Amino acid sequence: MKTKLFLILAPTLLSIGLLQSYFWVPTYDAQTKGNPERITKFIEASIGDAKILNPILHSDGASGRMTGFVFEGLLDFDENLNLRARLATDWTMTETAYVLVNKDAHFPDGTAVTAQEMHNRMTAIFLNTPITILPPQQHTKVLSIPDSDPITVTLHIPERLQFSLEQVDQNFFQLLTPILGADYEKNVPIHQWIDVSPENQRETVRPQMAELMPIFEHNPIILFHLREGVYFHDGHKFDAEDVKFTYEAIMNPKNLSPRTSDFEPIKTVEIVDPYTIRIIYKRLFSPAINAWMMGIIPEHLLNKTALDQEMDDRKLSTSARASFGMRDSQFNRHPIGIGPFRFVKWQSDELIHLTRNDNYWDDVPKYKDYYYRIIPDALTQELEFRAGAIDTYTPQPHQAIRYKKNKAYQSFSSLGFIYTYIGYNHRKPLFSDKRVRQALGMAINVDEIITYILYGEGVRMTGPYPRNTQWYDHSIKPLPYDPKGAQRLLETLGWHKNDDGWLEKDGKIFEFNLITNNGNLQRKAIMTIAQNSWRKIGIKCNTQLFEWAVFLEDFVNTGDFDALILGWSMGVDPDLYQIWHSSQSGFAQLNFVGYKNPKADQLIVKIRQEYDFATQQKMTHQLHRILAEDQPYTFLYAPLSNLVLDKKIMMVNEEGLSTKIKPTKSGNIFFHFNRWRKLEFYPEN
Amino acid sequence: MWSYIFRNLLQRCVLLVIVSIMAHSIVHIAPGEPSEVDPSNPRMKPEDIARIRAAFHLDDPIHLQYIYWMRDLFTGELKSFKDSQPVLPKIWERFLNSLPLFICATLIVWTLSFPAGIQAAIRRRSLYDRGSTFIAYALISVPGFFLSYIMILWVVDTFGVPVIGMRTFGMEDADPFFRAMDRIWHLVIPSIMSALTGIAILSRYVRSQMLEVISQDYVRTARAKGLDEDTVIYHHALRNALLPFVTLFGFLLPGLIGGSVIFEYIFAWPGLGRLGYEAILARDFPVILTINFLAAALTLAGTFLSDMLYAVVDPRIRLE
Repeated sequence: MKTKLFLILAPTLLSIGLLQSYFWVPTYDAQTKGNPERITKFIEASIGDAKILNPILHSDGASGRMTGFVFEGLLDFDENLNLRARLATDWTMTETAYVLVNKDAHFPDGTAVTAQEMHNRMTAIFLNTPITILPPQQHTKVLSIPDSDPITVTLHIPERLQFSLEQVDQNFFQLLTPILGADYEKNVPIHQWIDVSPENQRETVRPQMAELMPIFEHNPIILFHLREGVYFHDGHKFDAEDVKFTYEAIMNPKNLSPRTSDFEPIKTVEIVDPYTIRIIYKRLFSPAINAWMMGIIPEHLLNKTALDQEMDDRKLSTSARASFGMRDSQFNRHPIGIGPFRFVKWQSDELIHLTRNDNYWDDVPKYKDYYYRIIPDALTQELEFRAGAIDTYTPQPHQAIRYKKNKAYQSFSSLGFIYTYIGYNHRKPLFSDKRVRQALGMAINVDEIITYILYGEGVRMTGPYPRNTQWYDHSIKPLPYDPKGAQRLLETLGWHKNDDGWLEKDGKIFEFNLITNNGNLQRKAIMTIAQNSWRKIGIKCNTQLFEWAVFLEDFVNTGDFDALILGWSMGVDPDLYQIWHSSQSGFAQLNFVGYKNPKADQLIVKIRQEYDFATQQKMTHQLHRILAEDQPYTFLYAPLSNLVLDKKIMMVNEEGLSTKIKPTKSGNIFFHFNRWRKLEFYPEN
Repeated sequence: MWSYIFRNLLQRCVLLVIVSIMAHSIVHIAPGEPSEVDPSNPRMKPEDIARIRAAFHLDDPIHLQYIYWMRDLFTGELKSFKDSQPVLPKIWERFLNSLPLFICATLIVWTLSFPAGIQAAIRRRSLYDRGSTFIAYALISVPGFFLSYIMILWVVDTFGVPVIGMRTFGMEDADPFFRAMDRIWHLVIPSIMSALTGIAILSRYVRSQMLEVISQDYVRTARAKGLDEDTVIYHHALRNALLPFVTLFGFLLPGLIGGSVIFEYIFAWPGLGRLGYEAILARDFPVILTINFLAAALTLAGTFLSDMLYAVVDPRIRLE
């Protein structure tokens, strides 16, 4: 019977055909057998794929990691988070400062102000500072103002005094007060020197006038000396043109670069010679130098000629040509940079393959190939790791505990720049008193959260800076866990327990809503713990979870919430303007809790304008103390990030011996990645 | 008949347009923004976000956005928000990845369900029948992702072999034969796992169809003629029992584009289902809408095909 035979044979043959393949597949114990190249490859697993492999355009972590291998910036951080020279060999920071000469004013002794007189008086004090008089100038600017036609302003800048300072000094102009008098700034008739067209828009422009024509102006300057004899992966020589091009590409509105705000403080970029470049800034903003860690992109592959050529090669239609920009270029999927690895290929949601750049100017990596594997699921990552198909990944806290107990793997815990907090809406009268916020914080046992939710993989936070930066003040003590103390504190504020056991004041019980985003199990658990802890001292807290987009749009952006659980991923720089300055509490801004403290505001501005490390550190510690006292958030913890590595991976030290891999002080495990290699067997001793 | 086909096709085209309009509205009305304009990114200024929104036409009226989408889709210039790559080649690339998985799973479902279902029908109420019924219902009730994890854990723990992805990593320089076997091995587990529910359901269908046919008069007649049992079952009964299954082929078509999100996610398979899922998470409107559009088109084509097939295999049915 043919049909019967077919019905039996078909599934049998299919099963045999499929299952026999098992005998040809490499297993964990036989990774290199028949495939000796395996140990020259480093395979890393990631939850998500990269989006765009262009250092000036990406805004996600995976793309950041890849571009970090392929591209190189002028600077980066060394083991202790200090700036280190990369494509720049060294740099100097100076400042040019300007003072407007107001001829209508008088010096304190009654003499009329003239440029020459001011020059003479200044020179007498600042003996070593070159001071020059700049002739009057005229500039025309077009301002684009929302919901209105562009406004043209003409600036009739009078004579100015230019000071060339050897160091950036935010207090420099205060030194001039004895000469100019305390009221010099107030009496300058700026508005007379600005023409507005159309004239009826003068009032619209008025608030911006002080910014358009500053009476005192700081222009910090960085002079970079660039490394010579460095080549892009395609063999093109790197020079100052590439640096300038990178800056221009970021500022080009057509490219929609998310880095624009990092480079916005720059006034001009001047090429001094092919290996020297001068960056002049509009104003004091000390974190601005960190922006130069940005990977440098090749000018010859992305300039207008190159993009035109690409459009021709791809035979784009006229409409497509009109909107074509760097974002559309194939370069973003085939990046060419200067970094230790060169790009090979990218298969979406599967892998990114890089290979060693043998012409790298610094230590050439020991590994021949680097693979970035996309595995969207944590359990799958663990299985692949145990099958030897990946060399490293970031395990979940519960997995990390398993690895710590298992000697067959190397596992690391290190501090990142992330922390989790409960934020209180300061616009609500309930939370406006800092003692209430302190009491709320004291009622929560954070150590318990760290032990049970994070399996111990976290450390307490007391303030707004990442713990492993020098901005964090380790001498500040966290709030004690003291529910009784919290209750006493609230009682002094007039909150007393009613018959139902809830705290009550003026006939109202202490009740509010605590919200967070759905999908984050840790935050959900914290929510329950907080709710329970507060209930114990008589506070009624209702909890709710929202989908991320809804959570942001309807609650965070509008500031329409009582309290929320969230986390910040911080930068390394000490600038906290966007998160804590009171001006940043508007719609969709990051100070969504509406924190306002004039003292903190002042410090925040001073910190971003300070160029001296020690002073800056002192101020950040002060700011940290203020925030720890004010408790605008209950600062909870910084989670430790975990990493597991194949045990056979070792680091080669200066003598050429294999040693154990150790994370740097700042928690970076991959800092010496170029010196890593995988051994065929783990040395037993 | 031709007029029926013509009318039917026209109706389906209209329906497709309606579906695409509805899908477009729903996707745009749903909360959330494309991840490129995520306001929670502390380094993004409102101006940057406004610029990107304008470039994506996000502030235009919704009907205009629909027209832009349709125009770009049919001129082939539609680009993903996420990486600015053209959408159609992107979908095609992922489709090719999903295809082997789909073919393999379908083969497993269709070759295994028939013998299993027929046997159950022949030996009605036997231990085999009861056992297979129990297993079938168990497979239908237990979520596929759960079974998959158990399976993967067991395979990795016992055999120490990689089962995730389309192939083992670091095998690029191995012998072509080894690489081919490796590809097949990586197909095995995900296709078995995604076939399980299919086998369970289809074998139940086969069983009930066979039971219905076996009790028919012509089967009794065939037995009465003195034909041997195999001829009765596999020649007379099976042929008639097969009729409804022919139409099921039509319903396979939409499965081509839907893929199986869960299995592709668990097995890190870079297929179409995962592309769609990730596009939804990133609110990558062009990709979501285009996949949705193609799925709708294929569903309509599939039901059309099964209508046609039905008329072909069963002469009693006429298309009017």
